[in-house]
Amino acid sequence: MSSSYGDINVSGGIGLDSESAPFNLELARRNSMIERQGMKLPRYLKTGTTICGVVYANGVVLGADTRSTNGDTVADKNCEKIHYIAPNIYCCGAGTAADTEATTNMVASALNMHRYGTNGRTSRVITALTMLKSHLFKYQGNVSAALVLGGFDINGPHLFTVYPHGSSDSLPYATMGSGSLAAMSIFEAGYKENMTKEEAMKLVADAIKSGVFNDLGSGSNVDLCIITKEGKEYLRNYECPNPRPYASQSFSFAKGTTPVLRSTMLTLKDVVVEEGADAMEVGA
Amino acid sequence: MSYNGGAVIAMTGKECVAIACDLRLGIQNQTIATDYRKVFRVHDKLFVGLSGLATDMQTLSQRFAFRHNLYKLREERNMKPTTFANLVSHMLYERRFGPYYAEPVIAGLDENNQPYITGMDLIGAMAPASDFVVAGSSSESLFGVCESFWKPDMDAETLFETLGQCILTGVNRDCLAGWGAAIYIITPTGITAKTLKGRQD
Amino acid sequence: MSTWSPYDMNGGTCVAVAGADYCIVAADTRLSTGFSILTREHTKVVTLSDACVLASAGFEGDRKQLHKVLGMRQQVFAHNHGGKPMSCPAMAQMLSNTLYFKRFFPYYTFNLLGGLDKSGKGAVYTYDAIGSYERTGYACQGSGQALIMPVLDNQLKSASPLLYPPVSSATPLTEAQAVDLVKDCFATAGERDIYTGDAVEIVVINRNGVRRETMPLKLD
Repeated sequence: MSSSYGDINVSGGIGLDSESAPFNLELARRNSMIERQGMKLPRYLKTGTTICGVVYANGVVLGADTRSTNGDTVADKNCEKIHYIAPNIYCCGAGTAADTEATTNMVASALNMHRYGTNGRTSRVITALTMLKSHLFKYQGNVSAALVLGGFDINGPHLFTVYPHGSSDSLPYATMGSGSLAAMSIFEAGYKENMTKEEAMKLVADAIKSGVFNDLGSGSNVDLCIITKEGKEYLRNYECPNPRPYASQSFSFAKGTTPVLRSTMLTLKDVVVEEGADAMEVGA
Repeated sequence: MSYNGGAVIAMTGKECVAIACDLRLGIQNQTIATDYRKVFRVHDKLFVGLSGLATDMQTLSQRFAFRHNLYKLREERNMKPTTFANLVSHMLYERRFGPYYAEPVIAGLDENNQPYITGMDLIGAMAPASDFVVAGSSSESLFGVCESFWKPDMDAETLFETLGQCILTGVNRDCLAGWGAAIYIITPTGITAKTLKGRQD
Repeated sequence: MSTWSPYDMNGGTCVAVAGADYCIVAADTRLSTGFSILTREHTKVVTLSDACVLASAGFEGDRKQLHKVLGMRQQVFAHNHGGKPMSCPAMAQMLSNTLYFKRFFPYYTFNLLGGLDKSGKGAVYTYDAIGSYERTGYACQGSGQALIMPVLDNQLKSASPLLYPPVSSATPLTEAQAVDLVKDCFATAGERDIYTGDAVEIVVINRNGVRRETMPLKLD
């Protein structure tokens, strides 16, 4: 994060996201200066993550855990890692949380615009894939999003993985994130061609749980998303295998425990006085 | 985050929400001010707390006020908490490779007076929560106390006592935050601001 | 090979609370390295005598060696003194000496020693890796330290050991209340610290001897 900003091409876009604004680098020089003087860059939120997906007889099942970490601490115990791309396409994200969120949002809105321009024809997974990978390739891996993209379009079910540098794979079953090895071991042991929906759901849930329990970067709950010709089924918190084991009942604070120096009721600024035509109040 | 120090917590209750910050401003280990508030009012039912580099906190709070004023001129209404959170997220992610050194915490009541809180990292990754969010130089300590003391459906008074205990004990082991705290309790009928007494060292 | 280090960090959290006539020493049972769990049922707590229990977080290799050395010295002491075990304050000083003896190639361990002193009162000693130590009313060490310490501060508020005239630094809670607090602390650390989990082992020392109980924690 220091002097390499000049290498990042922000002037012109390629591919379909060329309309999106480039990043603002005004503060980059200042930040690298104060970092050189010894100030630590605060850590970005990461999703340590287990994400995965399988293709089954007539659709795709995507799965994700729900832990997001900031170093060694859990920042969010129940975050959403299966992102909306289109009504028939969803995308699991691992890596820097802001990057996965922003990248998938950008592609979702670009596809939405694309549907407006094409008589609402159903978006194709390959279009989403191309938009994602050309965006990631443009930033040379600095936008650190590792994705599992799944969907159902005119050509049937599709499943892709996209790496932060912009490469991609088309696979019948795929895993990503720090728990990818744990999840893949379940897939390698249990994957069959042409599974039923129930078999596929169980396999994906087991793979995610394998990541949740064996990888410290993944945890909490299991989210699933099933996409078929008929539509999607988003099963948020499909399984919650990690409830809090113990909670003391003895923590309660009587009124007056906390020492107060001053207490004031603040004047409300947005109270509307409905008589005549007053000037609009715009003070912050 | 550890240059100026500071701590911010937002916590939900039943039809109320509260946000707290400590009052210290320092330059590394030297304390500069002991009445430095890190929580800003966006409108009557929406507050934003910032922790991090003080210069960026000030710039951001001014840009938030500016953007909210523009919104009001155009729409003749206040922003919903979710709208504001998305605005903040985009303002931060715009500077993905040259970020503001500040972590915002947003707390407000939505149009049905239901609490909404969300935390964010410095490049705008939202982490909305149903219980509490923390930010600052002592975020681990704050996580510890909040995780132990928070309970669902607290009324405004219980929420104040709980949050008060959390912010005061949370910053006690952090030498970059402290010198008392300020709490804003937001209810459908009004905002109460309280200044808390804490250790002065 | 140039990046090889003789140390590793295996995570884990230890808590100790001293009461008027009891002492609690607790630690989780997860052993991890990086993002992997090595084992879910590994004890970090060793019972040195009827009045003395030691818990350590940090590097497992050093922890094992340190516990072995202290156990051995405790046995030699007992043999030389007609079967009488070392007192807890004496053991505390010896642990400090043992750690400082390796000042420039330290045991990478963060220790808590709990037990009963000569008058039967709970005693907790907390250490840094190279033997600086202090007797306190309660303490916490390891990966969940920052999460647990303020909760203990808030709930226990024991008197400073530096006060004059001296005031007992033991905590005012009963044994059952203290065990309840320790359990909640570990549940909290298990929620937010990725290196704390699987189970917590709670050792209670009182005039009846040493009792060990286990409570399951989250496995993720």
